[in-house]
Amino acid sequence: MPMRQSPGTRPKPADALVALAVILLAAALALGVWGRGAGSGLSAVISVDGRVTETVNLSLLSGPEVRELTANGYTLRLRLSPDGVEVLEADCPNQVCVRTGAIHRAGQSVVCLPARISVMLAGTTDDGVDAVLG
Amino acid sequence: MKLTTKQLTLCAVLTALALALSYVENFLPLSLAVPLPGVKLGLANIVTVFALYALGAGQALLILIARCTLGALFAGNVNALLFSLLGGLCAMGAMALLSRFRPLSVYGVSVGGAAAHNCGQVAAAILTLGNAAPLYYLPLLLGVSLFTGALTGFAAGLLFRALEHTSLMKA
Repeated sequence: MPMRQSPGTRPKPADALVALAVILLAAALALGVWGRGAGSGLSAVISVDGRVTETVNLSLLSGPEVRELTANGYTLRLRLSPDGVEVLEADCPNQVCVRTGAIHRAGQSVVCLPARISVMLAGTTDDGVDAVLG
Repeated sequence: MKLTTKQLTLCAVLTALALALSYVENFLPLSLAVPLPGVKLGLANIVTVFALYALGAGQALLILIARCTLGALFAGNVNALLFSLLGGLCAMGAMALLSRFRPLSVYGVSVGGAAAHNCGQVAAAILTLGNAAPLYYLPLLLGVSLFTGALTGFAAGLLFRALEHTSLMKA
């Protein structure tokens, strides 16, 4: 069984280049993804199966509001408040969305893959009308 | 691809080892220390690194596909197949390229593989979900991959040194 090439088994200076490339990529992505959407208030964009089903302007909420969301056989209990979103409870097997905790900044998101639900925070700009109530 | 009996046996042993490592990994949940979706040590990557150097890209790919398919079957989770395959293939591709660059040690190759694995998994999450929300976690996951990649690089380095004088490593 020929060994094709035996690798260096101790760190070499060139390895730092790979680490640097990863750090640069992470920094560039962080700027691109996290830098977006700084606004005066937050809104929660709720998507199911990749389609936006609802956008809630959180800055208009007077206090925390709990609502349930069911999709693909799973139910999530969401807590929406003016300063963020949190999944309180989910009956999905992996509980990743619950462990994500509360999200507070524009660009952040909480995701439940089994239910295919995602809630993303977006910044809202004050452009006159915030909501029309009937 | 034509394999000798010895090569086929070694591929099978390495596949079993990779499966065992992915299982053991469940008992060392890195996600408790770093609460990010998809965070894990990536111990099975040690096998990919080793196979890449010792057996070549072709057989490393066979081991990877067998590991992902069997892993998803054993876990009874077909959703996980897309995640592990995309992640694994990205890691494999990146490491196959990096390992040709001789000034790099197994550490650099392994860190590059871990970072590529995260990119693949986030891509799988974006495909599953249908929107770009998972991209939010990628910068953090890339940061974590520096440490997990160095750790698997260290383990792979130990393995290479331990096997240096065996018939496995003789040209």
